[in-house]
Parts: sequence; structure tokens; C-alpha cells
Amino acid sequence: MATATKEPRGAVPHPDLTQLDQVNRDVLKTLGKPGLVWWLMLGLCIAGIGMLGVSWGIQIVQGIGVTGLTSPVGWGVYITTFVFWVGIAHSGTLISAILFLFRAPWRQSIYRAAEAMTVFAVMTAGLFPLIHVGRVWHAYWLIPYPNSRFLWPNFRSPLVWDVFAVTTYFTVSATFFYLGTIPDLAAARDAANGFRKKLYKVISLGWRGTDREWHHFGKAYIFLAALATPLVLSVHSVVSWDFAVSIVPGWHATIFAPYFVAGAIFSGVAMVITLTVPIRKVFGLEAYLTTKHYDAMAKLCLLTSMIVFYAYLSEFFMAWYSGEEVERAAFWARLFGHYWWATWIMLVCNGLVPIMLWFKRVRYSIPALFTISIFVNIGMWFERYVIIVTSLHHEYEPFAWGVYRPSMVEMGIMVGSFAWFGFWFLLFTRLIPVVAIAELKEVIPTPMRGAAPAHAGGEGGEG
Amino acid sequence: MSETKGILASYEYVDSAVNAIEKLRAGGLKKITAYMPYPEHLIEDALGYDQSPVRVWTLAGGLCGAAGGFAFTAFTSMDWPLVTGGKPILSMPAYVVISFEMMVLFGALSTIIGLFINSRLPYLKPMVVYDPEFSGGRFGVYITAPPERLDEARGILQGQDPVELREDSAGVAHAS
Amino acid sequence: MSDGLKRREFLKVLGVSGAGAGMVGCSTESVEKLMPYVVPPEEITPGVATWYASVCGECEAGCGMWVRTREGRVVKVEGNPDHPVSGGALCSRGHSSVQGLYNPDRFTGPMARQNGELQPISWDEAEQRLADGLAAAGQHLTLTGFAGPSMMTLMESFARATGGGVVRFDPLADAPLREAGRIAFGRNVVPWYDIEEAEMLVSFGADFLESWLSPVRDARAFSRMSGVDERGSKGRFVFVGSRLSLTGQNADEWLPIQPGSESLVALAMANVISGAGAGAGPYRDIVNAYTPENVSEATGIPAENIRELAIQFAEGPSLALGPGVAGQHRNATAANLAVAVLNSVAGNVGRTLHYSAPQLNAPAFGYSGVERVMQLIGQGVVGAVMIHGSNPIYALPASSGFRAAFESVPFKVSFASSPDETTALCDLVLPDRHFLESWGDSAVRPGSWAIQQPAMRPVPHFDTRQTGDVLLSVDSLMGQDLGAATFHDHLQSRWQTVAASTGTADFEVFWQEALKSGVVELGGSQTGVAEQLRQPDRALVFDPPDFDGPGDLHLMVYPSSRFGHGSQNTNRPWLLELPDPVSKITWHSWVEMHPDRAAAMGLRNGDMVILSTDNGSVELPVWTYPGIRENVVAVPMGGGHEGAGRFSDGNGVNPLDLLPAESEALSGGLVHFATKVTVTPTGERRALATISGSDVQSNRPITPAVALSALTAEADHAEEEDGNGPLQELQGVGGFVPVETEGRPQDFPLEGAQHGEYGDPETPRWAMTIDLDKCTGCSACVTACQSENNVAWVGESQVTMGRDMGWIRLERYYEAVDASHAGPLDVRFMPMICQHCGNAPCEPVCPVYATYHTPDGINTQVYNRCVGTRYCLNNCPYKVRVYNWYTYTDEEPVREGLGHAPEPMNWAFNPDVTVRENGIMEKCSFCIHRIRGAQDRAAVEGSVIQDGEIIPACQQSCPAEAIVFGNIRDTRSRVAQSVESARVYRVLDELINTQPAVSYLKKVTFHDVESGEH
Repeated sequence: MATATKEPRGAVPHPDLTQLDQVNRDVLKTLGKPGLVWWLMLGLCIAGIGMLGVSWGIQIVQGIGVTGLTSPVGWGVYITTFVFWVGIAHSGTLISAILFLFRAPWRQSIYRAAEAMTVFAVMTAGLFPLIHVGRVWHAYWLIPYPNSRFLWPNFRSPLVWDVFAVTTYFTVSATFFYLGTIPDLAAARDAANGFRKKLYKVISLGWRGTDREWHHFGKAYIFLAALATPLVLSVHSVVSWDFAVSIVPGWHATIFAPYFVAGAIFSGVAMVITLTVPIRKVFGLEAYLTTKHYDAMAKLCLLTSMIVFYAYLSEFFMAWYSGEEVERAAFWARLFGHYWWATWIMLVCNGLVPIMLWFKRVRYSIPALFTISIFVNIGMWFERYVIIVTSLHHEYEPFAWGVYRPSMVEMGIMVGSFAWFGFWFLLFTRLIPVVAIAELKEVIPTPMRGAAPAHAGGEGGEG
Repeated sequence: MSETKGILASYEYVDSAVNAIEKLRAGGLKKITAYMPYPEHLIEDALGYDQSPVRVWTLAGGLCGAAGGFAFTAFTSMDWPLVTGGKPILSMPAYVVISFEMMVLFGALSTIIGLFINSRLPYLKPMVVYDPEFSGGRFGVYITAPPERLDEARGILQGQDPVELREDSAGVAHAS
Repeated sequence: MSDGLKRREFLKVLGVSGAGAGMVGCSTESVEKLMPYVVPPEEITPGVATWYASVCGECEAGCGMWVRTREGRVVKVEGNPDHPVSGGALCSRGHSSVQGLYNPDRFTGPMARQNGELQPISWDEAEQRLADGLAAAGQHLTLTGFAGPSMMTLMESFARATGGGVVRFDPLADAPLREAGRIAFGRNVVPWYDIEEAEMLVSFGADFLESWLSPVRDARAFSRMSGVDERGSKGRFVFVGSRLSLTGQNADEWLPIQPGSESLVALAMANVISGAGAGAGPYRDIVNAYTPENVSEATGIPAENIRELAIQFAEGPSLALGPGVAGQHRNATAANLAVAVLNSVAGNVGRTLHYSAPQLNAPAFGYSGVERVMQLIGQGVVGAVMIHGSNPIYALPASSGFRAAFESVPFKVSFASSPDETTALCDLVLPDRHFLESWGDSAVRPGSWAIQQPAMRPVPHFDTRQTGDVLLSVDSLMGQDLGAATFHDHLQSRWQTVAASTGTADFEVFWQEALKSGVVELGGSQTGVAEQLRQPDRALVFDPPDFDGPGDLHLMVYPSSRFGHGSQNTNRPWLLELPDPVSKITWHSWVEMHPDRAAAMGLRNGDMVILSTDNGSVELPVWTYPGIRENVVAVPMGGGHEGAGRFSDGNGVNPLDLLPAESEALSGGLVHFATKVTVTPTGERRALATISGSDVQSNRPITPAVALSALTAEADHAEEEDGNGPLQELQGVGGFVPVETEGRPQDFPLEGAQHGEYGDPETPRWAMTIDLDKCTGCSACVTACQSENNVAWVGESQVTMGRDMGWIRLERYYEAVDASHAGPLDVRFMPMICQHCGNAPCEPVCPVYATYHTPDGINTQVYNRCVGTRYCLNNCPYKVRVYNWYTYTDEEPVREGLGHAPEPMNWAFNPDVTVRENGIMEKCSFCIHRIRGAQDRAAVEGSVIQDGEIIPACQQSCPAEAIVFGNIRDTRSRVAQSVESARVYRVLDELINTQPAVSYLKKVTFHDVESGEH
């Protein structure tokens, strides 16, 4: 008789899972025929993408002036949304790579969705540098290619760092994501038939799960994880240096890199919650995405929220403590100036609301978490808005102070970017198993006839 | 050697597969391919794997990327020296960022190449010796042997009462 | 990025200039070879500028100018250094004349009214009609604005020959000033003011830096007089008036008097100086009556302040000016007389102002002249009225009823070259040439005459004829003979006499020389005669006039420093978008109100209010201004045009509608300052199209000042200030090892950053010094820069958003001063341009090297390389980078109301400077094209560039001579010496170590300044 003998490290996150192939059945059924809701949402997203396209078209034809941007506020909603999406991307890599290295027992069932989110978020973020430049038809000049005059980009510019960091990040996270899906695509292939079978056969690269494949796969996976971990930290540091290396009061702070990384993880985890809660409902994956997982993510949220809030406070303190007139004025304006409301939205959503996560009852209530995650998403968007806009509108030269009001075009493109993201994510839920089948099997009891050997257990593909 | 034949057994339990493999290897039958729905170390251990060469690929790629990144930035700024912000022509601290990103990028890409080469992916030949159950819950052991030892092998596999035992004439299933 | 240079046009123009740009106008006219200033026409080569000397026709001051042409097109005007008035400088209006020349709304040819509409006709027909019309009319009148002496005489002799009269009309007539001169000294002239000679200056509301008499000349004289010199001595300037104009903002002290009480202050000062009137000659009793104590209540100025002022005034050579338009009230002549008396008792007559040097321009009648005209029309004796160089329908208060009178005239002719409110009523329009296309002359100062010569073939879009020629041909059509076929002959025949007076035998030689230099000095002007006061022959009332009308706020309608009286030449984007030097508002009108008064009425900047008097009412946004008395509101002239062109129509309101049509009793001048208004909030708001983000410096060292007393102390103090250790920069070993630097402009580039040419000690570092003690904030540099560098205008909506494109942002900050004995305001001007930082924050952040540092120290912007990330704008602490949010230079605006350059306005683009498109960052380039041009010339000639050989447009046009440019590494250069001054500082440098190449010299004040501002 079958006896569950293997105890993974930490508590068993999936008490009601015993059969290996049950995982295939449960997960692969999500690839079945999409329902009406899915089609509606897809249609909505396509409409949103249309809006993005039209708005961008108007901007290209008429000029960047259709935005509300002006002197002295040269950056606004576009860069805000860029940083927001890059931030969203980070938790995906965090969960898939960093938690993998740290052997967190709760990552298997959520990391696939998180990684997908990473890839699509970077794809979305990548649009904005293009959208915000004045002459997008010359944007390729940022890429180092041997042109006729052998004029290269200026590698001292953080914007060029961005180009390298973001493209690298996209390539690596996409590779990492794809690598992880190969065995599950194979599983999908075996379950499917007809055209889908052919399709999955090709994209699963003919994976058969032989010992040799698994052996090297595990190695490659762990090395990629090891590379992705410093990468994820570096990318958002680089993004933060877009601001920190400038001399703008409110930007020019050494705390920015860690502050931004923490903020990125904060917003990213919140977004994972926002995305997985409906998936869990729609596909009936409660057995896989258990409240234990949400509890863990909520704790991560709480931690990062405290780091971020500490960063806010230390910024204000340093502004006061420096005694620097310009610095002080900038932060005073941030709290009580023209954009006071944005600042207070940021403080409430990112600092106060997450305090509720101290309570176990909240951490275990899916609706509560969902609501809080929405607040955090809003708050983190406003954090970037506050950092960028309020700092710029009130800096060194009083006579040049000015105010920026976002235009409809900017709003259209910002909202459209969510549609663009949603579009890819919806496709993902139907084409790729949203839960990592193979890896999940590692944490459910190994089917044994007799007693397990002492050295059994462990995670991942390590030899 | 005269034509070899192969036998494919699929098991429900890990330890059955492990025992089968260990017995076969003990019997000197080493041409084994195991199939698993997930990386099961008991089986890998039974097959006696050592370190994977993929790590070398990672290291080499990373080093090349880092060196290349720094060399490139340094070269381009010396190639057409332009002073910006009163900074040195060779503003090394800035170039560290680029070379770091390049290290990660090339490291990752060469890791993938290493993986593909070492595990013979992509494998687009028809999957003769395969059972869709292997990606579900079953564990497979495939052995090829010269005809004279075929019964011995069949005996060992049979001994762990497989769910299914089938013979294939080709004996091509080994990735190598 | 097209400058609208169509190839065929180009060839056409080129052909002409090749054949000699002298071809004036149509072939029917005589051919005259022009003498370009630099090279003779036949040597004109494409790409090389040709200069012509001429005279500015924008205002009566008649500044001599050089006109820069390229391929036969005028591209820029600059002051003629040889000219006694301009002295090489020019004001914004002068610069904008290029947009007048190429104005797309000019009449395309002669027009005649057929069934209610003005329809184009041929010139022959037009002239025939004029001849017939005048013949039929019997009596006819010519109402003319300012015109040169030759044109004036021609009009008069034409009128005489054809049975008519000429009325010289000027909305801002100086009648009271001349009448006062007549009463006081028997000299009905505008006196010749020698501001430079004075050490103490008192202006009774005379805005001599912006609109009064000759702003450019006076600005130069004023800055020389009031600028602190190396000996540390500085002339003092006190402004007496109820509103601080731009001129007032330049004063060291402000006496905010009650409206209309100038005469009291002047007489009280005279009283003190002359020992209770003892020395006041025939005015003893009058002066005696007005002791400081008596007037202090009525003027609102404490007696001791007036006393103090009088004593200072009596000390050195001093000068009292005015009153200007502020004194244009019901006792205007008396006010002017009081100032004359003050000057007389202080012994200034013949020393700092001269009545014995009459101006040669025909004096203008005041409003009384117009009243006479309306009277004649009313009697029906006038059959035709010809309008020349003026726009009376706009310039006269609606209450005058001139419109009705004018409409009743059977035959109405205008010579205006572009449509305006008056031409809209005319039956026949014979468009005159723009002054840059036509002949003329001016005699602006005793003993100096200037020639105005056409600098280019008439703009082909407009079929125009010079009015002088029209008059002559019409004259012959009417069977008369004025002894000249063309106006050019007439001009030459007049100059024959001038030539004779110089004793030149060969007129040809004299004529060519005159054309070359543009100005002829005859000498023989007698000055220095100290006229004695005469017994007044008229009854005088010196007490403040009564202001009628509702409300308790005195309405001051003042000439705009951008448009003057604003009845003409307002259809120019450069001027409309030039921030008003005082309010920093563009495009629209506003009403100035004291902040306390506004607060009491619950009004903020931008609240709409209705101003109403017995004569009318207008709706305006409020602009609160601490430089105005609480009981006064002020509105600038020049707004509210209708049918005057696509740009100026519908901007602001015409405040003259509020005024009574009334001439001052003694002089007949129009009364501008006579009514009170009610201010009624409408509850509406509008965003002001201003460039000002804040009026105070918020404790930042942007425009620090130094008290005159502390100036010498400052020098020693400067040494001590460097107590905080040597500056260190990460320069060594690729940015890892600190290198010491003093951060002086000469130090660029720092060791470590040196590479290739950058290390060459021979390369210059271009640098600039701006003396804030001299800068008057007049904004001439802004327009000059706009003209030189093809800086686009963007439109009102864009300016409101903060997208103005001016490369020079002339900032205006208020500093509060101890108001115990003066007005509470210390105004600081700061022409903020790209500082060309040695450590430019904008450079390293550009991803594509679109901005970088040239070996000669210029922070340069490569337009074609810019992709428009705007990072440099964010990272510029001075915010001097401006961005092309749209393409503002196409012939059609990208969107309604945006900047554009309709044909032929795009002819004004400077071929040496790229025209920018949407998405490009731009900024001050130190006029790099001029630098490279000079370097190329030097290379070709094998010569060395001398200090002062390269002059940026701003320095070139600065009337105050506040700007110095040069190579700071050359220790003998002016700029290198100027940074040795004790007053030198660099904006924000010590805060963020930008090492700017632009240094400023602190403003010097007579009052103490807080240490907070360094």
C-alpha cells in the first residue's frame, strides 16, 4: 500500500494532494476551453491596447507637446509608469530565483504566475522609454551600433545604463521563465492531441524527462537563479540611479537604490496577490494556492512596506537635518505644496494600510489581502509620481518653478499599458500551466512501496 | 556486436525504479535511461551522476561578458573623446554598471547553450520509447542489452512488478 | 525644419542682390546703388552677410541701425555704433521691426472700397482715384504720425500745393513738456537731457528707460551714470511716482506719492534748495508757498524725506526728469513747469539739460489738434482725410467721438502698410513701404542727421509703394510740380543743403559716405546755455488735479514698454510673447493692483475683474503688484486690437476706452491720468500667461546684492570666505582619485578630464560677465537673441503652461527693504542664460552626447543628435534649457494657436542657425555661429581674434552695456578683468559646484542688504 513518507522542509503546504498525476489533471485543465469571462477580459484588453496605440499615434504625429509635460517638469506620468512596471517585475524574479535559492517551501505553486508577470511587466515597462522621448524615430541612437561616424552612446548616462539593465533583465527573466516551463509544456503535450499536441511538442523542445535532461536542467536552473538574483537587485538600483545620480533635490540621495529595490518587491508581491486571487478562483486551484502561500506573501509585503516607509521618513529627516535650504523647501513642498494629495496617498497606502497585515486574521483572509494589495498598487504608483514630479516642480531656481498637469493622452497611454500587460497575462493563463507541475511534485509525498532511504528529500534539480 | 534490443518498464513507485536500476547496474547492464515526472534524486543517485559541466559554461560566459562590457565602454569613450560634465574621459565607475549587466547577460545565455548541448535538447526525433504517463505520475526504466542478456534484464525489471513492460526493437531511445 | 526658402524665390532674390541690392522697388523707379556697410553689393556672395546702415522707424527716437542681409534678405537689425542715439544698441521694438517687414498680414497691394469691402486694385488706378478724390474734395487734411523731416516737408508742400493741411498727431504728445519749456524759458522744445552728466537723478514718473523720449539712449546714459565704477562711486536715482514702472524698478529709492502730486514734491524740493524760494526768481512766491511740511500731507511723503532728497539733489550735478505719462493729468503743464523750476534752482539748466538745443523733428499737436480736426470735419469743410503713420481710431479714447467724425468724411485714405482699426474705415488704401524697404532720414539731435536707406528689394509678397513717391506722382496727376520725380530725388535735393553746410564740394562722395556710415555729424549744436526763468505768462495751478469718475481707485493707463502707445506694430509674435519687463506677463492685458488692496477685495492673481468709468468698462485679470500705491490701479496700453492682424487681434483690452477725451488746458495734450474706476470681480478666473514661477528668491544666492558702504569690505571678506578647505573633485585615475581645484572659470578643463584638444593650453575658454548693477531689465537682449538664433515663439496657451522658449529668461525678484523712508521694494533683475558650466550637470546624463563640452569651454547642444529625453532639462539647476514641445517653425501651426512662421515671416530666419523641430532641446549657445565665423575668418586671414571681436547678440543689443563676452583665459581680455571685481559671483556655484562660465557682478544698493543673501 502507498504510504506518504516524505516530509518536505517546513509544513506541508498541500495536505490534500497525494497523487502525482492528479497535479497534471488539475493544472492542465486550466488550458481547456476559455470561458466567456476570459473572452470579455481579452476584448477589454485589446480595446485598451487600441487606446494606447491611438494616443501614442497622436503624440507622434503632433508632437510630445500633447502631454502635460513642461519646464521644469520634464518627466511625468510616462516615467512614473515605467518605474512602476519595472518595480512590478521584480517580485517575480524574487519569488522564482531568490526564494528558490533560499529553499522557501511555499514558492513552487506561485512562482510560475509571478515569473510570467515579471516577463510581461518588463515588456510593458520597455514601452515607456520609447513613448516618452521627443523623437522616437531616433530612439535607436541609444543602442551602441557602429554608425557611419562611429559616434557611440554616452555610457556615463544612467539612461544608457537603463537600456542595458532592462534589456538584460528582460532576456534573462524570459529565458529563466521559459526554461522552467519546458517540462510542464511536455506534460501539456502528453495530455493534448491534434494541433495543440504539435504545438506543445515543438515549444517543449521534445522534452521527455530522462535522467540526463533532468540532471543538466537542474544545474542550469540553479545557475540561472544565481545570476538572476544579483540582476534583479542591480536593475532596480540602476533605475533608481536615473534619479539618484542627478542633482535634483529629492532625487539626489544615496538611499535610493535599496529604497527602490524594497519598493519594487513591495509593489511586486502586491501585484502577485492581485493577479493570483482571481486565477485561483476561476481555475479552482485552492488546493495549490493555499492561504499559507498568501500568508507568506503578506508577510513579505509587511516587511518591505516597513522598509519603504522607513525610507520615506529618513528622506524627510535628512532633508531637515541637512539644513540645506533647497532640500528642505523641496520636501516641504512635497508634503504641503501643490502635490500634497499625491504625497499623502503614497504615505497612507504604502505606510498605514499595510499595518493591518500584522494581524493573522487579515493575512489569512483572501478578500482582505486582495483589497490591501490594490491599495499598495495605487500607493506605489503614486510613490513614483511623487518622487518624480514633486521634486522637479520645485527645485533650485524659484523663478523657474512650475506646475505639471497630466493630459488625456498621457492617461490613455498609462491605462493602455495595463491593458497591454493584461493581454499577455490572459494568453499566458491559457497557453502555459499557471502552476509549475513538475516542481510541485517535489513537495508532495513521493510514492513509495517500502520505507524511504534516509537521504531522500530535498528540492529542485540539484545533484 | 549483434543487434541489441531494448526493454521499457514503467513503474508507479520510485523505489521500484531505483531498485531495478541498482540491480541492472550491479549486473553490469549500464545502458539505462530513466524517465521521471520530476527530478528524483533517488534515481539520479542510483545512476551515479557526478557534477554537470554546465557550470563551466556559466563561468566562462560571465567572465567574457564582464570583460567585454568594460572593454567596449572604455574603447568607445577613448575612440571619440568627449568631455561631459567635467568628468574624466575614462569614467570607470560608470562603466562598472555596464560590465556587470553584460556579465549577467552572457553568463545566462551561455548557460542555456551549455544546457542544450549537454542534454541534447532540442530532441525532435519521433518519441518511440516513451510513455505520456512519464510526465504524469509514472517512472520509466529503459534498458538496452545484447540479445543473450535480454532475459536477465527482463527478469530484473519484471521483479519490481512494473505497471507495464514493453519491448522495442530499435533500441534508439538513449539520448546518446 | 524648413525656413521657407523656396528655391525659385531664392534664385529670384539672389539674382537681385547679385545685380546689386540697390534695385529699389518696382522698375518704374529710378535705380540707386546702395552702399553696403561692409562690402559693395557686386561682391555679395551667398553665405556672406551684407550690412546696410539705416534708421529705425519704430518710434520717434530714431535709433541708427545696421541691417544685416543674407542673399538679399533682411535677417536681423542691430544698433549702429556710430549713431549718437543708439550707440550700437537697440530695443526690443527695434529688433521686432524684422517681423514688421515680413508680417504676413501686410496689405498685398493697393485697396479700394467697393460695395463695402476693400478690394485690390492696380497702383495706377489707385493713384488716379486719390488724385480725383482730392480734387473733388476741395479741402483735405493729412493726419500723420511720426515722419522724418524730408517726408514731413514733402507732405506739407503737397498739402500746400493741393489745398490741404497736415496735422502731426502723436497719442503720447509731449505738448505739456514743451509748453512748460516755453513758459519757463521761452523755449517751446523738448529739452536735451544729459543724464550721463548727472550724479543724482530724480524722475517724477518719467519712464525714460522704456517709453519716454529715447529709451535706448537714456538707458545707456543711465547705466553709465548709475553703474558703480572702479572708484566705488555710484550715481543715485530716486523715483517719485505712484507706480513703479520698469524705470522705477531701477531706482535706488522710491517715493510712492499720491497720484498727481509730482509738482508738490518738485516745488517743495525747490523750496528747500532755493532757501524758501529766494533763488527761484519769478517763482519765488510760488516756491515759497510749498514747504515740505505743507505738501507732506497731500503727497503722502514725510517732510524730512523731501528735505533729505532736496539736499542730496542740490549737492552735485543732478537732474530731474518728467513727469512722464504719470504726470499727464489735468495740471500736466504745471507739473512739468515745477520740474523745470526745480532743475533751474538746482542749477541744472545748461549743465545736465539744455533748452537751447531744439530737436528738429516736427512737434506733434496734442489732442487739441485732433479736436480741431473733428471741428473742421463737423463744419463739413473737409472733403478728404489722409492717414499716414498713425491709427487714430485705436489711439483716441472712444469717448472722443473721432470714429463718428471720421466716418462722416466723404473720402478717407490711408497709407498704412498693414490693416488696422483705421484702415477698416477707409475708402482707399495705398500701402506704404516698410521703413526697411524705403528711403528717409531723421534728425534726432542738433547737429546730427541720419539716412534711412532700403536694405532690400521690397518683399515680393506685398505690392507696395513708398508714400513719398505716391504723393509726388499724384501731385503730377493733379497738374502740380514739387520739383522731384521720386521721393529719392526729393531726399537728395534736401541733403544737398546738408552737404553744403558741411562744406563738402562733391555731393556724390558726401552721399556715399553718408550711406555708408548712416549718420552725418554737422556739429554746431549750442548747448550749455543756462536759461533764466521767466515770468509765467499763464495762470498756473500746481495743486494735485481732481480725478472724477466712480470708485476710489485712480486709473493709470501707461504706455507699454513693449508697444509704446500700442496703436501700431503690435502684430508681432516676438513682442507679444516678450514677457513684460515689470509683470513678466505675455500676450494678454492685466490690471495692476496692490496686494493688500486685492486681498481686501478677496482677489488673487488671475481673478477677472471689470474696470468701469463713466466712459466705458473693460474686463481684465488682476495681477497683484507691490510696486503700486494702494489707491491706484494701472493698465498697459497696446491691447484689444481688432482687425490689426492675426497675432495681435483679441489679445487683452484697449484701456483708452476708459479715458475721457479731454485735452489739458494749457498745452492741449491728451489727459491720460484723470479718472477713478470701480473694480468689480466677475468671479471668473484665468491662468496668467506669465513666465514667473516665484517673485522671491527664497533665501537662495541667485541675485545677491551688496551695499555700497560694504563694497570695499566685501573685497577683503571674500578672501576669508574660502575657509572651508580646497575644493576636491574625483578626476584622477578614471574618476577614483580626488584632484584639487579652485573652481574658477579659467580652470576648465580639470586635470584628468584633459584629453586631446581639451588639454591644449592655447584653446580659449569663452566666458561672459553680466553686471547686474547696470542691467535695467529692459529685455532687449531677449528679442535680439530670438532674432539671432531663430528662437521660436510658442503661443499664449504654451506660455501659460510654462513652455516659453526664450533663451534668456530675464528674472525679476523682489527684495523687501526697510520701508521707513522709501517704498518697500528692491527689485533685482537677473538675465538667466545657459551658464556653460565647467561641470555641466546636463552633459553626463545625455545618453547620446547631444550635449557635451567643446574644447573651448562651450556647453554645446547638437540639435540633430538630440532624441529628446529631457533628462538634461531636469538636471539643469538653472532651468535654462528650453524644449520644442511641438514644431513651432512650420508655415502652419501644428495646433490652433501654436507658434508658427507663415510665409514670408520665415524669411527672417537666420541662415547661420539650424531651425529646430519637435522633440529637440535647445538653449543659449553663446552665439557659437558667430564664434566659429570669427575663427574661420581669422584662419583665412591668418589673423588672431582680438578681444571684443566676437560679440553675442545679447551683448550687442544691450543698451546698458551690462554684458561682457570673451576668452577668460586671456588675462588681458575685458571678461578676464571683470571677474577680478569684488562684486563677482557665480549663481549657485558654491552650492553644487557647477563652475559656470557666466559670472555676475552683484547689484550695488544704497540701503543695507541682509547677510542672508551673502
